[in-house]
Amino acid sequence: MSIPARLNEVLNELPAIQARPAGARRVRVDVAPQGLPALLELLKGRLGFIHLSAISCVDWIEDGQFELVYHVWSHEMKLLVSCHVRIAREPGVYVSVHDIHEPAGFFERDIHEMFGVHFDGAPSMEKFILTSWEGPPPMRKDFNTRKHVEETFEWVDYRPDWLKDIERKGGGIES
Amino acid sequence: MTDKPLKSHVRPPQDTMPGGAGQGCPAPDAQTRSIWRRIMDDFADHCRARSLFVLHYCTGCGAIELPPTITSRFDMERVGITPMVTPRQADILLITGYLSLKTLKRVILSYEQMQGPKYVLGFGSCTINGGMYWNSYATMKRLDQYIPTDLFIAGCMPRPEAVQQVLLKLIEDIDAGRANAWQDYYRNYDFYLGNQQRLFGAGWNTPTDVIGEARHYGYYGPGTEGEHTRLLAEGGGSAARLAHAEYPSTALTGRIKS
Amino acid sequence: MTTPQVPDPATLAPSEEYDLYFGPNHPGIEGNYSVRVRLKGDVICQAVADGGYLHRGFEKIMEDRLWVQNIALVPRICVPDPVPMEESYARAVEMIGGLEVPLRAQWIRVLMLELSRICAHLFTFGGNAATIGLYTNMFWGVTMRDLFLDIFEEITGARIYHIYITPGGVRRDLPEGVLERIEALLVELEERMPQFEDLFFNNAVVIDRATGTGRMSAEEALAWGVTGPNLRATGVASDVRRDDPYLVYPQVDFDIVTETGGDALARMMVRKGEVVQAVKIVRQAIAALRKVGGPVRCELPNPLAWDLPAGDAYARTESSKGELGFYIVSNGGPRPYRVHVRGASSMHAVQVLEKLLVGSRIEDVAQIMFSLDACPPEVDR
Repeated sequence: MSIPARLNEVLNELPAIQARPAGARRVRVDVAPQGLPALLELLKGRLGFIHLSAISCVDWIEDGQFELVYHVWSHEMKLLVSCHVRIAREPGVYVSVHDIHEPAGFFERDIHEMFGVHFDGAPSMEKFILTSWEGPPPMRKDFNTRKHVEETFEWVDYRPDWLKDIERKGGGIES
Repeated sequence: MTDKPLKSHVRPPQDTMPGGAGQGCPAPDAQTRSIWRRIMDDFADHCRARSLFVLHYCTGCGAIELPPTITSRFDMERVGITPMVTPRQADILLITGYLSLKTLKRVILSYEQMQGPKYVLGFGSCTINGGMYWNSYATMKRLDQYIPTDLFIAGCMPRPEAVQQVLLKLIEDIDAGRANAWQDYYRNYDFYLGNQQRLFGAGWNTPTDVIGEARHYGYYGPGTEGEHTRLLAEGGGSAARLAHAEYPSTALTGRIKS
Repeated sequence: MTTPQVPDPATLAPSEEYDLYFGPNHPGIEGNYSVRVRLKGDVICQAVADGGYLHRGFEKIMEDRLWVQNIALVPRICVPDPVPMEESYARAVEMIGGLEVPLRAQWIRVLMLELSRICAHLFTFGGNAATIGLYTNMFWGVTMRDLFLDIFEEITGARIYHIYITPGGVRRDLPEGVLERIEALLVELEERMPQFEDLFFNNAVVIDRATGTGRMSAEEALAWGVTGPNLRATGVASDVRRDDPYLVYPQVDFDIVTETGGDALARMMVRKGEVVQAVKIVRQAIAALRKVGGPVRCELPNPLAWDLPAGDAYARTESSKGELGFYIVSNGGPRPYRVHVRGASSMHAVQVLEKLLVGSRIEDVAQIMFSLDACPPEVDR
């Protein structure tokens, strides 16, 4: 497993980039936030990385950072490059890459809704899934879903009165 | 059953109620019904149990087991049950699995549009106690807190045989006059509305005038109105407006004439 | 108070355009989904997809559960085609943990994946026919699929959610005699295929309604991020099984089915071809399973105290809807730190659907949605 020479050539043109192979047909690239649009543009134009498979967001709350991972695939090179970017958790603003990869619109909207990251220049930052939700962005690590459920919903009474009556008479499901 | 009004509530005059006094369904109180009415009701229940329409609303993943149930292999139509596309003409609301809060709103709207008698079946463990999604912030945990539910099917996911069995049980219950959960929505509307408001906020409102319907059907009880329904009235909500017969006739007919 | 203030129509300026909510409570919509369309006459001039009705917060609740508990959770993300979900999750975990899947388990997984593909395509075939009023196809497709569900039930104990593929292999070996029964069922399917052909693909109504409906070109499809059968229907021979192979797919002989129309008919033709190819792959898997023995799962630590090493992995699988991605991050703990699911329908159920609906007619909304094989639960997650 090594990085193909063509890819290495392109990566060397950009400053502050670290790349390493990460398994079969996978390359991990760490890039500074300001360098990502140029990297995606270059990969798309020169090496045919035209398919944006996904944008993933990871909340590293202890570092105070969001990690954005852009997975791009090249139909020609048969290679998946994952570009990792770290941005500050507050205020959580980044640029949209919608002009380079059209599918980014969906993923950026999703990340905005789930993590509260705002993407400048994105076609839509409106809510899509959580239109009935008024709480904090739920995928942030400081939102505790279990606690929220305990506060919001009531549980089924697993030992209702009629069952206790039966138990008092010596029956029930536990004996 | 009593229709004694609560202390703060003033009952509107009879002629402003939908259908007017004495028209439509009179209050069928089991104790005061005449023998003739009782025979007629039993006969109606008997007929009703043999022709049921299930609302075609795929609310959750359980919907994947409905096509096998209604098509050739298991063939629900053998027992007189077939899908229906509109809530107003459907008898059964089959809640196929978990309900996200967004869907729960639509389910309540659909349920209130359905005409009585109507039956709700909870399909799968997630309608009983949250099931797989017990710690999810996005799904409701107990269906019977938000709409009255006749029967539940346990399992994730229940097999078509289980769906058929619960439908046969429902038929049996309707025939015997036992499937009356829908009346509970009118009698204890305040309880259901309170639970709905807890999830959707105090401004939650639906276009259906449930309190007016409760009076109309004769199921107005001490639990119909309370602190939660008062929020509807205070905010000038639609239920309160409808009860005073503001909107259906005047606006529309006035415009057609002009 | 959030009572909607409905304006009096008499006070509004006359307009030829109007909004219509298509779904979620609509028999033509696939699953629980909604599209708001703006109509002029019965031609759509704008469409806005509205999802989230099936949101369960999978990505969040998976962070709350052990690695092994999540095996039961993942198939529920996509209801009609659950096996690729299990496979993707298991493979991402294997990539992080460096687990080796035994050869026999790999063939069993291929068998399960392709059987699931047949099921999903039969289901879509039935659903798609129903959107243009051909209910016989729906009955036939769903019933044929049911016979495959019986096979799943025999192998895994469940019809829909199998929870069979685990990290490191599969849960248990195949039961005695199931290979023969699968073979018999494949023969039955092949006998039915000409009937499906007559009923659907040679049907004048289908050809009339589906030709040119929801058409997209190869360039558009690539730019919009379309994957899977929808992309292949535009003539692009792209398939994750071939391009980014996993399991034993490099040893499997199959063709990538392509069409050039890019419309609803071409998409259904691709699915038909894929069923034929899946049958071919299942036969190869059966032949291999007769020869390959050995364990079906590698050694795993105590599942209740299983800490995966820190790292991340992105697993891609070709599901019946397109490219399915699972991005999993582990921080060395007993639970995933982050799971991101790239639903295979993420693109063609939202952005692409919105684009394709513009200019089409209201009666084709359901057909376009079904011919794209949009799967709302994996969009909402």
